[in-house]
Amino acid sequence: MQMPEPSQAIISQRDALAQGLRQIVGKDWVISDDAQRRPYQCDGITAYMAMPLLVVLPGSAAEVQAVLRFCNDRGVKIVPRGSGTSLSGGALPLEDGVLLVTSRLCNVLAVDERNRVARVQPGVPNIKISEAVSHLGLCYMPDPSSQLISTIGGNVAENAGGVHCLKYGVTANHILGMQAVLMTGEMLELGGAYLGAAEGELDLMGVLTGSEGLLAVVTEIAVRLEPVPEVARVISMSFASVEEACACVGAIIGVGVIPAGLEFMDRKVLDAVSVLIKEKFDDRTAALLLCELDGTAVEVDALVGVVSDVARGQGAIELKVSTTEEERQRIWSSRKLAFSAIGKLCPDYYCTDGTIPRNKLPEVLNKMADMSKKYGLDYANCFHAGDGNLHPIIMYDASKPGDLEKAEEFGADVLIACVDAGGVLSGEHGIGVEKRDLMTHQFTEIDLQQQQMVKCAFDPKDLLNPGKMFPTLCRCAEFGRMHVHNGNLRFADIPRF
Amino acid sequence: MTDIQTTASMRPATTQDVADILMDAASKGEPLVVRGNGTRAGLGNPVAALRVLELGGLDQIDFYDPDDLVIRAGVGATLDNIEQVLAQKGQYLPFEPPRYAGLYGTDGARCTLGGAVSTALSGPRRILTGAVRDFVLGVEGVNGQGDVFKAGGRTMKNVTGYDISKLVTGANGTLAALTTLTIKVLPAPRAEVTLVLPAATLEEDVALFARIRALPLGVGGLARRVSPTGACEVLVRVEGTVPGVAGNQQVLGGLLATRGSMEVLEQQASQALWAGVRELDCLNARPDDLVWRVNLPATTMPAFVAQARKAGCINRFFVDWAGGVVFSTMRGVQPEVDTLRYRKMAEQAGARATLLRAPDAVRAQFGAFPPVSAGVAALAARTRTAFDPAGILNPGRMTVQA
Ligand SMILES: Cc1cc2nc3c(=O)[nH]c(=O)nc-3n(C[C@H](O)[C@H](O)[C@H](O)COP(=O)(O)OP(=O)(O)OC[C@H]3O[C@@H](n4cnc5c(N)ncnc54)[C@H](O)[C@@H]3O)c2cc1C
Ligand SMILES: Cc1cc2nc3c(=O)[nH]c(=O)nc-3n(C[C@H](O)[C@H](O)[C@H](O)COP(=O)(O)OP(=O)(O)OC[C@H]3O[C@@H](n4cnc5c(N)ncnc54)[C@H](O)[C@@H]3O)c2cc1C
Repeated sequence: MQMPEPSQAIISQRDALAQGLRQIVGKDWVISDDAQRRPYQCDGITAYMAMPLLVVLPGSAAEVQAVLRFCNDRGVKIVPRGSGTSLSGGALPLEDGVLLVTSRLCNVLAVDERNRVARVQPGVPNIKISEAVSHLGLCYMPDPSSQLISTIGGNVAENAGGVHCLKYGVTANHILGMQAVLMTGEMLELGGAYLGAAEGELDLMGVLTGSEGLLAVVTEIAVRLEPVPEVARVISMSFASVEEACACVGAIIGVGVIPAGLEFMDRKVLDAVSVLIKEKFDDRTAALLLCELDGTAVEVDALVGVVSDVARGQGAIELKVSTTEEERQRIWSSRKLAFSAIGKLCPDYYCTDGTIPRNKLPEVLNKMADMSKKYGLDYANCFHAGDGNLHPIIMYDASKPGDLEKAEEFGADVLIACVDAGGVLSGEHGIGVEKRDLMTHQFTEIDLQQQQMVKCAFDPKDLLNPGKMFPTLCRCAEFGRMHVHNGNLRFADIPRF
Repeated sequence: MTDIQTTASMRPATTQDVADILMDAASKGEPLVVRGNGTRAGLGNPVAALRVLELGGLDQIDFYDPDDLVIRAGVGATLDNIEQVLAQKGQYLPFEPPRYAGLYGTDGARCTLGGAVSTALSGPRRILTGAVRDFVLGVEGVNGQGDVFKAGGRTMKNVTGYDISKLVTGANGTLAALTTLTIKVLPAPRAEVTLVLPAATLEEDVALFARIRALPLGVGGLARRVSPTGACEVLVRVEGTVPGVAGNQQVLGGLLATRGSMEVLEQQASQALWAGVRELDCLNARPDDLVWRVNLPATTMPAFVAQARKAGCINRFFVDWAGGVVFSTMRGVQPEVDTLRYRKMAEQAGARATLLRAPDAVRAQFGAFPPVSAGVAALAARTRTAFDPAGILNPGRMTVQA
């Protein structure tokens, strides 16, 4: 993975920079020695590593402002980081950049029960919000599988989804307001703590959400709270073929039901899981769907009936419906254990997250089978079928020379197939460095230039998380001057990294 | 009734035509009024431009994929047309877009999808299903340099590049002339009923709304209005499956029993009622009234309304979104004075007051949209420049030039 050439001039100022930053955040909160910096070398993608110049842990929004201003004045890059669970390398450090970690900004600041809003700091782990309001019968809906660890700030930066986003939406749909600091240290309040607070001017909050830490550092977030559904029940549906399972996804939605979650697991995943949960799946089962329905008891009972009928009509060979919360948890455990179960089958695996129109599932899954043959690597499928969000798990062995490269190429081919099927490179993990060089497959030069112009409006010096998301660095000064019309390739001579 | 003396209108039929027009205008630095069919031209500040770029001709439906809950259409497709196409498959636009045709004296049947997205007007169901911004999956448009760009996609989950779809939603045509929109749709609820009960004080009603919303009962409408017969009443819309609604209605019945007599409106009567709420019919705004929308935390609403009424800034009003929005009329007697006073009051209450309808001169002077902080204004201006460096797309529509 090629990154922008680190600036030796900046690296040579390391000690002076550390000293300056200590004056802002206190001496304990700037990490400069090797041993303590090492855990920050990578995020959730361990294949990409770099030693950050310094690690800084501010204790307040004001300190974030001061750190950014300090670095901006000196031309030092910043990489924001929450818990480092990103699966796209969004929080990958830069050797000439300061890693700004939000883990000390971890308080739920206020809960407004009657207006159903909570104000939280960016370093709060997602689950803590729901825990802080559960006694009120409320919760924060978006629930990425990483919710025990991943921070709300990281969720905002990646517009994280979750198992329940089919019905309840992704992070962007649950944010009412935020406080954000630009690279210059300027602090902005966007939106507020009520519906429509951000309206009447451009939706800057909307574009900040999912911007992967390239536009501003988010220092406070106002999130919507929702009542916890009264009941949830899950139906486990087995199919003799992958095609039938995929068709059932469209049929459920086509009949007018939006499940809370709709997940897919193929036979390979089931076999891996059955070892862990000591339960056998029917031999005929080629794919399993888990469909969760929630709401009031009466509503859910009605929906369980509708979905069961649809599944039978689509050729389901076996249906299991949870009747107690215990059963529900047990049925879900197979999905929850899927990734660690696969992890036991192979030394390493690599998982991407291209997203496609639901009716293209069979087509793209078939292509994957061909790719597996081409690269000689095994794979398994376990994904958010309801939103067409694929998570192919490509198995490889990092100790075998060339295996990682093959896995990456396999992953890239899957993503290209997703885009060609009318989908997108990333449903929830973001572009980061991982999918950066594929952006030109989804977007034209003009599309990308328009996006980079937005970056220039927020961060004209390109100091905030550079090298991520776009295959070329922003050249804000040039954008203003150069203008070539109608798809003529511009900047054809700019080096890609 | 709005944009200053426009002399010529251009009505392109293709994206390429739009690009050609904008490239030409950009080269001359000529500002343009950008609109759909102009049915909501009265929203936002008047634009000083001589020519109109009208996008209503881009009215094709590119595809509609009910199993994938997505429709893609030209910005000129009418909301009526889209809603009819969706209804044939039992689906709908969840943000319940208002037309405000009564308000602006225009033809609601000509309201376009592009206008709905550009104005980001959301209906009463917002408290349950979300706002326009939550349903715009992808866009194609032409920026102020005549470049055709696309952003987003057609899948409901997408973190591939910046969410420019959100940025152009509610931008009132100031960033780009949008040409195509990809919209997430949902199955329409099978059943709906509305419970109508007598209003109490605003405080009590807001507390009631909060109690109702604390329960997961699929309540997609909580408003308080004066009925055509002059009764002050609270409206509770329950939606879902047939048995689900029946069950939830029962639960609510228990909760609301202390309020006295309750009327139940079934399916069609309920739909008709909420269409009226969506269109602000119950304001009975007279032609020379100013019409306001104030967004605020529901709990601060009663005190705000009381204060504004005492000050004569609110004449008639009704409350939607469980108390989170107040629509009101203001007598057009001394609009300059009252507009400033009302805005000030809203600001002090931490609220945002949008002038939905007012004479051109009032909107031109005070701005239809409430002011934002200097930092936000500057960043928004830089963002506009990133799309439209020459400032030719609806200049001044959202911001009042100092
Ligand atoms: C086991 C596992 C399961 C996962 N499941 C899901 C899932 O179900 N759904 C899903 O969407 N994702 C999932 N992820 C991916 C990941 O958890 C999310 O992307 C998450 O939102 C990242 O949060 P974080 O705090 O770890 O952020 P980090 O990884 O630290 O950072 C992610 C990005 O956010 C930026 N950033 C962080 N904080 C801020 C801030 N305050 N201001 C500005 N930018 C900031 C960083 O620069 C970086 O670009 C999973 C990851 C793992 C390891
Ligand atoms: C001149 C005038 C104009 C009004 N215009 C509006 C309006 O545009 N929109 C609106 O929602 N309300 C209107 N009202 C009703 C009144 O504003 C509401 O009572 C108010 O919203 C609640 O105020 P409060 O909390 O002070 O309760 P109060 O004003 O103390 O009211 C308490 C009780 O009086 C009853 N009540 C009050 N006014 C009415 C009425 N008009 N019809 C039936 N019952 C009534 C309420 O139902 C309740 O039981 C108007 C009242 C007056 C006198």
